[in-house]
Amino acid sequence: MLEEIDLSTVTPGVDHTEMDAVAQFLASHDLDLDGDLDIILVARHFGELIGCAALAGGIVKCVAVAQHAQGLNLLPHLMTELSYIAHARGHAHLFVYTKPRYQDLFTSCGFHPIVAVPDQVVMMENTPRGIRGYTEDLRNYRRIRDKVGAVVLNANPFTKGHQHLLREAARDCDYLHVFVVAEDASYFPFTDRLALVRAGVAEMSERDHIHVHPGTTYVVSKATFPSYFLKDSGLVDMCATAVDLLIFREHIAPALGVTHRYVGTEPFCRVTRQYNTDMHYWLERRDLPPSFAAPVQVVEIPRVAAGDEPGSQAISATNVRRLLELGDLDQLRPLVPDPTFALLAAKYAPDAPPPPQRASTRPC
Amino acid sequence: MRIVRDSLAGTLESSDALVRVSPTDGGERDVSINSSVMAQFGTQITEVVQDTLDKMGVSQGQIVVEDKGALDCTLRARVQAAVLRACADEATGTTDASTSVDWSLL
Repeated sequence: MLEEIDLSTVTPGVDHTEMDAVAQFLASHDLDLDGDLDIILVARHFGELIGCAALAGGIVKCVAVAQHAQGLNLLPHLMTELSYIAHARGHAHLFVYTKPRYQDLFTSCGFHPIVAVPDQVVMMENTPRGIRGYTEDLRNYRRIRDKVGAVVLNANPFTKGHQHLLREAARDCDYLHVFVVAEDASYFPFTDRLALVRAGVAEMSERDHIHVHPGTTYVVSKATFPSYFLKDSGLVDMCATAVDLLIFREHIAPALGVTHRYVGTEPFCRVTRQYNTDMHYWLERRDLPPSFAAPVQVVEIPRVAAGDEPGSQAISATNVRRLLELGDLDQLRPLVPDPTFALLAAKYAPDAPPPPQRASTRPC
Repeated sequence: MRIVRDSLAGTLESSDALVRVSPTDGGERDVSINSSVMAQFGTQITEVVQDTLDKMGVSQGQIVVEDKGALDCTLRARVQAAVLRACADEATGTTDASTSVDWSLL
Protein backbone atom coordinates (compact mmCIF):
# COMPACT_ATOMS: atom_id res chain seq x y z
CA MET A 1 0.00 0.00 0.00
CA LEU A 2 2.98 2.27 0.60
CA GLU A 3 3.35 3.04 -3.11
CA GLU A 4 -0.19 4.36 -3.25
CA ILE A 5 0.57 6.97 -0.63
CA ASP A 6 1.17 10.53 -1.77
CA LEU A 7 3.42 12.76 0.26
CA SER A 8 3.03 16.51 -0.01
CA THR A 9 4.08 19.53 2.00
CA VAL A 10 1.92 22.25 3.48
CA THR A 11 3.25 25.67 4.41
CA PRO A 12 1.47 27.16 7.42
CA GLY A 13 -0.20 30.48 6.77
CA VAL A 14 -0.51 29.82 3.03
CA ASP A 15 -2.86 26.92 2.54
CA HIS A 16 -5.69 27.38 5.03
CA THR A 17 -7.95 24.50 3.98
CA GLU A 18 -5.05 22.05 4.20
CA MET A 19 -4.07 23.49 7.59
CA ASP A 20 -7.60 22.96 8.89
CA ALA A 21 -7.51 19.35 7.74
CA VAL A 22 -4.16 18.81 9.48
CA ALA A 23 -5.38 20.49 12.67
CA GLN A 24 -8.45 18.25 12.68
CA PHE A 25 -6.36 15.16 12.04
CA LEU A 26 -3.98 16.05 14.89
CA ALA A 27 -6.87 16.82 17.22
CA SER A 28 -8.20 13.31 16.64
CA HIS A 29 -4.83 12.05 17.91
CA ASP A 30 -4.82 14.32 20.99
CA LEU A 31 -2.20 16.61 19.50
CA ASP A 32 -2.27 20.36 19.04
CA LEU A 33 -1.14 22.09 15.90
CA ASP A 34 1.86 24.08 17.10
CA GLY A 35 1.97 27.73 16.14
CA ASP A 36 5.64 27.88 15.16
CA LEU A 37 5.81 25.21 12.44
CA ASP A 38 7.84 25.94 9.31
CA ILE A 39 6.56 23.15 7.11
CA ILE A 40 4.23 20.18 7.42
CA LEU A 41 4.61 16.89 5.58
CA VAL A 42 1.29 15.19 4.86
CA ALA A 43 0.65 11.60 3.74
CA ARG A 44 -2.55 10.90 1.82
CA HIS A 45 -4.04 7.65 0.57
CA PHE A 46 -6.46 8.40 -2.26
CA GLY A 47 -7.08 11.81 -0.75
CA GLU A 48 -7.55 10.61 2.80
CA LEU A 49 -5.13 12.07 5.34
CA ILE A 50 -3.37 9.17 7.05
CA GLY A 51 -0.26 10.71 8.55
CA CYS A 52 1.69 13.88 9.12
CA ALA A 53 4.94 15.19 10.55
CA ALA A 54 6.15 18.77 10.85
CA LEU A 55 9.30 20.78 11.34
CA ALA A 56 9.94 23.83 13.49
CA GLY A 57 13.58 24.68 12.82
CA GLY A 58 15.42 21.46 13.61
CA ILE A 59 12.67 20.07 15.82
CA VAL A 60 10.29 17.41 14.55
CA LYS A 61 6.79 18.04 15.83
CA CYS A 62 3.17 17.04 15.34
CA VAL A 63 3.88 13.48 14.24
CA ALA A 64 0.79 11.31 13.88
CA VAL A 65 -0.23 8.22 11.90
CA ALA A 66 -3.87 7.20 11.54
CA GLN A 67 -4.90 4.11 13.48
CA HIS A 68 -5.75 2.05 10.41
CA ALA A 69 -2.49 3.00 8.68
CA GLN A 70 -0.29 1.75 11.50
CA GLY A 71 1.84 -1.27 10.69
CA LEU A 72 2.48 -0.09 7.13
CA ASN A 73 5.89 1.30 7.94
CA LEU A 74 4.56 4.79 7.26
CA LEU A 75 6.59 6.46 10.02
CA PRO A 76 10.02 5.61 8.51
CA HIS A 77 8.62 6.77 5.16
CA LEU A 78 7.59 10.11 6.66
CA MET A 79 10.82 10.51 8.62
CA THR A 80 13.00 9.79 5.56
CA GLU A 81 11.16 12.45 3.57
CA LEU A 82 11.24 14.87 6.50
CA SER A 83 15.00 14.32 6.90
CA TYR A 84 15.55 15.38 3.28
CA ILE A 85 13.25 18.38 3.68
CA ALA A 86 15.06 19.42 6.87
CA HIS A 87 18.40 18.88 5.20
CA ALA A 88 17.43 21.13 2.30
CA ARG A 89 16.42 23.77 4.86
CA GLY A 90 19.82 23.56 6.55
CA HIS A 91 18.91 21.36 9.53
CA ALA A 92 20.99 18.20 9.53
CA HIS A 93 20.70 17.75 13.29
CA LEU A 94 17.10 16.92 14.20
CA PHE A 95 15.38 16.55 17.54
CA VAL A 96 12.09 14.97 18.43
CA TYR A 97 10.01 14.96 21.59
CA THR A 98 7.80 11.94 21.99
CA LYS A 99 6.00 9.86 24.56
CA PRO A 100 8.15 7.13 26.15
CA ARG A 101 5.99 4.43 24.58
CA TYR A 102 6.88 5.64 21.06
CA GLN A 103 10.61 5.69 21.74
CA ASP A 104 11.22 2.38 19.92
CA LEU A 105 9.42 3.60 16.80
CA PHE A 106 11.73 6.60 16.55
CA THR A 107 14.76 4.47 17.39
CA SER A 108 14.01 2.43 14.28
CA CYS A 109 14.02 5.70 12.32
CA GLY A 110 17.56 6.46 13.44
CA PHE A 111 16.83 8.59 16.52
CA HIS A 112 18.75 8.20 19.76
CA PRO A 113 17.45 9.18 23.20
CA ILE A 114 19.08 12.16 24.94
CA VAL A 115 17.01 12.24 28.08
CA ALA A 116 13.71 10.92 29.39
CA VAL A 117 11.38 12.61 31.84
CA PRO A 118 9.84 9.60 33.60
CA ASP A 119 6.33 8.82 32.29
CA GLN A 120 6.13 12.09 30.36
CA VAL A 121 8.43 12.69 27.45
CA VAL A 122 11.58 11.46 25.76
CA MET A 123 13.82 13.82 23.84
CA MET A 124 15.70 12.20 20.97
CA GLU A 125 18.17 13.30 18.28
CA ASN A 126 19.05 11.81 14.91
CA THR A 127 22.69 11.09 15.62
CA PRO A 128 24.35 8.67 18.03
CA ARG A 129 27.23 11.12 18.50
CA GLY A 130 25.33 14.28 19.42
CA ILE A 131 25.18 14.59 23.19
CA ARG A 132 27.88 11.94 23.64
CA GLY A 133 30.28 13.75 21.33
CA TYR A 134 29.56 17.01 23.15
CA THR A 135 30.17 15.59 26.62
CA GLU A 136 33.39 13.92 25.43
CA ASP A 137 34.61 17.37 24.37
CA LEU A 138 33.47 18.85 27.68
CA ARG A 139 35.51 16.32 29.62
CA ASN A 140 38.65 18.10 28.40
CA TYR A 141 37.64 21.05 30.57
CA ARG A 142 37.02 19.00 33.67
CA ARG A 143 38.86 20.10 36.82
CA ILE A 144 39.06 17.71 39.71
CA ARG A 145 37.95 19.79 42.72
CA ASP A 146 35.67 19.13 45.68
CA LYS A 147 33.15 21.79 44.82
CA VAL A 148 32.63 22.56 41.15
CA GLY A 149 29.98 25.12 40.17
CA ALA A 150 28.12 25.96 36.99
CA VAL A 151 26.17 28.99 35.84
CA VAL A 152 24.05 29.30 32.71
CA LEU A 153 23.60 32.85 31.44
CA ASN A 154 21.89 34.45 28.52
CA ALA A 155 23.73 37.70 29.33
CA ASN A 156 21.60 39.89 27.12
CA PRO A 157 23.77 41.95 27.71
CA PHE A 158 26.32 41.13 30.45
CA THR A 159 25.65 43.44 33.43
CA LYS A 160 27.21 44.09 36.83
CA GLY A 161 24.44 41.86 38.14
CA HIS A 162 25.83 38.93 36.16
CA GLN A 163 29.32 39.85 37.29
CA HIS A 164 28.14 39.84 40.90
CA LEU A 165 26.54 36.41 40.43
CA LEU A 166 29.74 34.98 38.93
CA ARG A 167 31.90 36.53 41.66
CA GLU A 168 29.73 35.14 44.48
CA ALA A 169 29.56 31.74 42.78
CA ALA A 170 33.30 31.62 42.10
CA ARG A 171 34.04 32.49 45.74
CA ASP A 172 31.69 29.79 46.96
CA CYS A 173 33.19 26.95 44.94
CA ASP A 174 36.63 25.75 43.79
CA TYR A 175 36.07 26.01 40.05
CA LEU A 176 33.27 27.60 38.03
CA HIS A 177 31.99 26.70 34.58
CA VAL A 178 29.96 29.41 32.85
CA PHE A 179 27.73 28.63 29.86
CA VAL A 180 26.49 31.40 27.60
CA VAL A 181 23.19 30.54 25.89
CA ALA A 182 24.02 30.15 22.20
CA GLU A 183 20.55 30.55 20.72
CA ASP A 184 20.36 33.69 18.61
CA ALA A 185 16.87 34.67 19.70
CA SER A 186 17.93 37.59 21.88
CA TYR A 187 18.38 41.32 21.31
CA PHE A 188 22.16 40.91 21.31
CA PRO A 189 23.69 38.30 19.01
CA PHE A 190 25.50 35.33 20.53
CA THR A 191 28.99 36.42 19.43
CA ASP A 192 28.58 39.77 21.21
CA ARG A 193 27.09 38.20 24.34
CA LEU A 194 29.90 35.62 24.56
CA ALA A 195 32.59 38.24 23.97
CA LEU A 196 31.11 40.47 26.69
CA VAL A 197 30.98 37.65 29.23
CA ARG A 198 34.61 36.76 28.44
CA ALA A 199 35.67 40.40 28.71
CA GLY A 200 33.68 40.84 31.91
CA VAL A 201 35.22 37.73 33.49
CA ALA A 202 38.72 38.78 32.41
CA GLU A 203 38.52 41.87 34.62
CA MET A 204 37.49 39.89 37.71
CA SER A 205 40.05 38.78 40.30
CA GLU A 206 38.49 35.28 40.32
CA ARG A 207 39.15 34.81 36.57
CA ASP A 208 41.74 32.05 37.11
CA HIS A 209 39.18 29.55 38.20
CA ILE A 210 36.33 30.50 35.90
CA HIS A 211 35.92 28.95 32.47
CA VAL A 212 33.46 30.46 29.99
CA HIS A 213 31.95 27.92 27.57
CA PRO A 214 29.97 28.82 24.48
CA GLY A 215 26.56 27.22 24.90
CA THR A 216 25.23 24.57 22.53
CA THR A 217 21.91 23.13 21.52
CA TYR A 218 21.97 21.16 24.75
CA VAL A 219 21.99 24.19 27.08
CA VAL A 220 18.79 26.28 27.12
CA SER A 221 18.17 26.32 23.38
CA LYS A 222 15.03 26.29 21.29
CA ALA A 223 15.46 22.53 21.12
CA THR A 224 15.73 21.87 24.86
CA PHE A 225 13.51 24.64 26.08
CA PRO A 226 11.23 26.07 23.39
CA SER A 227 9.07 28.19 25.67
CA TYR A 228 11.98 30.16 27.15
CA PHE A 229 12.15 32.08 23.91
CA LEU A 230 8.40 32.69 23.92
CA LYS A 231 8.28 33.91 27.45
CA ASP A 232 6.22 36.96 26.68
CA SER A 233 3.31 34.54 26.63
CA GLY A 234 3.98 33.82 30.31
CA LEU A 235 3.56 30.12 29.73
CA VAL A 236 6.17 27.76 31.01
CA ASP A 237 5.88 24.18 30.09
CA MET A 238 6.90 21.97 33.00
CA CYS A 239 8.08 19.26 30.61
CA ALA A 240 10.28 21.65 28.71
CA THR A 241 12.14 22.84 31.80
CA ALA A 242 12.45 19.22 32.94
CA VAL A 243 14.11 18.20 29.67
CA ASP A 244 16.57 21.06 29.80
CA LEU A 245 17.41 20.51 33.46
CA LEU A 246 17.70 16.74 33.16
CA ILE A 247 20.09 17.09 30.21
CA PHE A 248 22.20 19.26 32.49
CA ARG A 249 22.03 16.76 35.33
CA GLU A 250 22.47 13.65 33.20
CA HIS A 251 25.10 14.73 30.72
CA ILE A 252 26.74 18.09 31.38
CA ALA A 253 27.18 17.94 35.16
CA PRO A 254 28.75 14.44 35.17
CA ALA A 255 31.09 15.36 32.29
CA LEU A 256 32.47 18.34 34.20
CA GLY A 257 32.03 16.96 37.70
CA VAL A 258 29.65 19.80 38.57
CA THR A 259 28.26 19.58 42.11
CA HIS A 260 26.54 22.97 42.44
CA ARG A 261 24.52 25.13 40.08
CA TYR A 262 24.27 28.83 40.85
CA VAL A 263 21.48 31.12 39.78
CA GLY A 264 20.40 34.67 40.57
CA THR A 265 17.13 35.20 42.40
CA GLU A 266 14.47 36.40 40.00
CA PRO A 267 12.31 39.31 41.17
CA PHE A 268 10.91 40.37 37.77
CA CYS A 269 10.45 37.73 35.14
CA ARG A 270 7.87 35.02 35.80
CA VAL A 271 9.31 32.52 33.34
CA THR A 272 12.81 32.74 34.79
CA ARG A 273 11.38 32.53 38.32
CA GLN A 274 9.50 29.37 37.39
CA TYR A 275 12.70 28.01 35.86
CA ASN A 276 14.51 28.60 39.16
CA THR A 277 11.82 26.74 41.07
CA ASP A 278 11.96 23.85 38.60
CA MET A 279 15.74 23.84 38.92
CA HIS A 280 15.47 22.95 42.59
CA TYR A 281 13.02 20.21 41.74
CA TRP A 282 14.79 18.48 38.85
CA LEU A 283 18.42 18.98 39.85
CA GLU A 284 18.08 18.21 43.56
CA ARG A 285 15.42 15.52 43.37
CA ARG A 286 16.59 12.23 44.88
CA ASP A 287 13.59 10.01 44.20
CA LEU A 288 14.36 9.49 40.49
CA PRO A 289 15.20 5.98 39.24
CA PRO A 290 18.76 4.92 40.19
CA SER A 291 19.83 5.17 36.54
CA PHE A 292 19.77 8.96 36.91
CA ALA A 293 22.94 10.88 37.69
CA ALA A 294 23.66 12.25 41.16
CA PRO A 295 21.76 15.37 42.27
CA VAL A 296 23.23 18.83 41.73
CA GLN A 297 22.81 21.34 44.55
CA VAL A 298 21.08 24.56 43.46
CA VAL A 299 22.26 27.79 45.11
CA GLU A 300 20.30 31.01 44.63
CA ILE A 301 22.30 34.18 44.93
CA PRO A 302 20.43 37.42 45.71
CA ARG A 303 20.61 40.01 42.99
CA VAL A 304 22.78 43.03 43.55
CA ALA A 305 21.00 46.40 43.72
CA ALA A 306 21.89 49.21 41.36
CA GLY A 307 22.53 51.76 44.12
CA ASP A 308 23.68 51.74 47.76
CA GLU A 309 20.53 53.26 49.21
CA PRO A 310 17.96 50.71 50.45
CA GLY A 311 15.08 49.99 48.12
CA SER A 312 16.98 50.68 44.93
CA GLN A 313 16.09 48.33 42.10
CA ALA A 314 18.05 45.16 41.36
CA ILE A 315 20.12 45.24 38.18
CA SER A 316 18.48 43.42 35.32
CA ALA A 317 19.42 43.02 31.68
CA THR A 318 15.82 43.94 30.79
CA ASN A 319 16.31 47.30 32.46
CA VAL A 320 19.63 47.81 30.68
CA ARG A 321 17.95 47.18 27.33
CA ARG A 322 15.16 49.61 28.20
CA LEU A 323 17.66 52.36 29.08
CA LEU A 324 19.57 51.61 25.90
CA GLU A 325 16.42 51.98 23.85
CA LEU A 326 15.73 55.32 25.53
CA GLY A 327 19.32 56.33 24.81
CA ASP A 328 19.93 57.02 28.49
CA LEU A 329 23.62 56.12 28.57
CA ASP A 330 24.34 58.04 31.79
CA GLN A 331 21.88 55.97 33.79
CA LEU A 332 23.11 52.83 32.09
CA ARG A 333 26.79 53.47 32.85
CA PRO A 334 26.80 52.23 36.50
CA LEU A 335 24.82 49.08 35.67
CA VAL A 336 27.29 47.40 33.33
CA PRO A 337 31.00 46.49 33.36
CA ASP A 338 33.33 48.65 31.24
CA PRO A 339 33.62 46.29 28.24
CA THR A 340 29.82 46.04 27.99
CA PHE A 341 29.43 49.80 28.18
CA ALA A 342 32.09 50.31 25.52
CA LEU A 343 30.30 47.97 23.13
CA LEU A 344 26.83 49.35 23.88
CA ALA A 345 27.96 52.92 23.35
CA ALA A 346 29.82 52.08 20.15
CA LYS A 347 27.45 49.68 18.48
CA TYR A 348 23.98 49.82 20.01
CA ALA A 349 23.32 53.37 21.20
CA PRO A 350 20.50 55.05 19.21
CA ASP A 351 22.92 57.39 17.44
CA ALA A 352 25.43 54.64 16.65
CA PRO A 353 25.29 53.35 13.07
CA PRO A 354 23.92 50.90 12.02
CA PRO A 355 21.11 49.68 14.31
CA PRO A 356 21.06 45.94 15.11
CA GLN A 357 18.44 43.58 13.81
CA ARG A 358 15.87 43.29 16.58
CA ALA A 359 14.47 39.92 17.48
CA SER A 360 10.77 39.76 18.26
CA THR A 361 11.22 37.97 21.57
CA ARG A 362 13.64 39.19 24.19
CA PRO A 363 14.41 37.01 27.21
CA CYS A 364 16.17 38.68 30.11
CA MET B 1 38.36 13.31 0.00
CA ARG B 2 37.52 15.98 2.50
CA ILE B 3 34.05 16.17 4.03
CA VAL B 4 32.94 19.80 4.02
CA ARG B 5 29.17 19.71 4.45
CA ASP B 6 26.32 17.59 5.79
CA SER B 7 24.75 15.15 3.41
CA LEU B 8 22.16 12.42 3.25
CA ALA B 9 21.63 9.44 0.98
CA GLY B 10 19.21 6.54 0.96
CA THR B 11 15.98 5.86 2.79
CA LEU B 12 14.67 4.04 5.85
CA GLU B 13 12.69 1.59 3.73
CA SER B 14 13.27 -2.12 4.19
CA SER B 15 16.33 -3.40 2.22
CA ASP B 16 17.82 0.08 2.07
CA ALA B 17 20.04 2.20 4.29
CA LEU B 18 20.07 5.88 5.24
CA VAL B 19 23.58 7.31 5.35
CA ARG B 20 24.41 10.67 6.96
CA VAL B 21 27.77 12.31 6.58
CA SER B 22 28.88 15.38 8.56
CA PRO B 23 32.14 17.29 8.72
CA THR B 24 34.17 17.26 11.96
CA ASP B 25 36.88 19.58 13.22
CA GLY B 26 39.83 17.32 12.69
CA GLY B 27 40.06 14.03 14.53
CA GLU B 28 39.62 10.62 13.05
CA ARG B 29 36.94 9.12 10.88
CA ASP B 30 33.99 8.35 13.11
CA VAL B 31 31.65 5.65 11.82
CA SER B 32 28.48 4.59 13.66
CA ILE B 33 26.40 1.78 12.24
CA ASN B 34 22.99 0.73 13.37
CA SER B 35 21.28 -2.14 11.60
CA SER B 36 18.13 -4.17 11.92
CA VAL B 37 20.28 -7.20 11.10
CA MET B 38 23.32 -6.26 13.19
CA ALA B 39 23.36 -9.59 14.99
CA GLN B 40 23.55 -11.65 11.79
CA PHE B 41 25.54 -9.42 9.45
CA GLY B 42 27.12 -6.74 11.63
CA THR B 43 30.70 -7.67 10.80
CA GLN B 44 30.09 -7.75 7.08
CA ILE B 45 28.13 -4.49 7.09
CA THR B 46 30.95 -2.76 8.97
CA GLU B 47 33.49 -4.17 6.50
CA VAL B 48 31.55 -2.92 3.48
CA VAL B 49 31.15 0.57 4.93
CA GLN B 50 34.77 0.89 6.05
CA ASP B 51 36.07 -0.53 2.79
CA THR B 52 33.99 1.92 0.72
CA LEU B 53 35.23 4.85 2.82
CA ASP B 54 38.85 3.66 2.52
CA LYS B 55 38.60 3.41 -1.25
CA MET B 56 37.18 6.91 -1.47
CA GLY B 57 39.99 8.24 0.72
CA VAL B 58 37.74 9.56 3.49
CA SER B 59 39.93 10.05 6.55
CA GLN B 60 37.83 12.49 8.58
CA GLY B 61 34.19 13.20 9.23
CA GLN B 62 31.30 11.58 10.91
CA ILE B 63 29.42 8.82 9.11
CA VAL B 64 26.17 7.46 10.49
CA VAL B 65 24.57 4.44 8.81
CA GLU B 66 21.02 3.42 9.61
CA ASP B 67 20.73 0.10 7.84
CA LYS B 68 17.48 -1.71 7.16
CA GLY B 69 18.94 -4.89 5.71
CA ALA B 70 20.48 -3.47 2.53
CA LEU B 71 22.48 -5.75 0.25
CA ASP B 72 26.21 -4.99 0.04
CA CYS B 73 25.87 -3.31 -3.34
CA THR B 74 23.08 -1.03 -2.05
CA LEU B 75 25.00 -0.17 1.07
CA ARG B 76 28.11 0.66 -0.95
CA ALA B 77 26.11 2.84 -3.32
CA ARG B 78 24.47 4.75 -0.47
CA VAL B 79 27.78 5.39 1.27
CA GLN B 80 29.35 6.55 -2.02
CA ALA B 81 26.45 8.88 -2.77
CA ALA B 82 26.49 10.42 0.71
CA VAL B 83 30.27 10.97 0.61
CA LEU B 84 30.18 12.50 -2.90
CA ARG B 85 27.45 14.88 -1.79
CA ALA B 86 29.44 15.90 1.28
CA CYS B 87 32.92 16.44 -0.06
CA ALA B 88 34.99 19.03 -1.83
CA ASP B 89 37.77 18.23 -4.21
CA GLU B 90 41.17 18.99 -2.77
CA ALA B 91 43.02 19.08 -6.07
CA THR B 92 40.77 21.51 -7.92
CA GLY B 93 39.26 23.26 -4.92
CA THR B 94 35.79 22.97 -6.43
CA THR B 95 32.81 21.84 -4.46
CA ASP B 96 31.84 19.28 -7.06
CA ALA B 97 33.88 16.14 -6.52
CA SER B 98 32.29 14.09 -9.29
CA THR B 99 34.69 15.31 -11.97
CA SER B 100 37.84 13.94 -10.40
CA VAL B 101 36.69 10.77 -8.71
CA ASP B 102 38.57 7.69 -9.76
CA TRP B 103 35.43 5.80 -10.65
CA SER B 104 37.33 2.57 -11.27
CA LEU B 105 37.98 2.32 -7.53
CA LEU B 106 34.31 2.29 -6.65
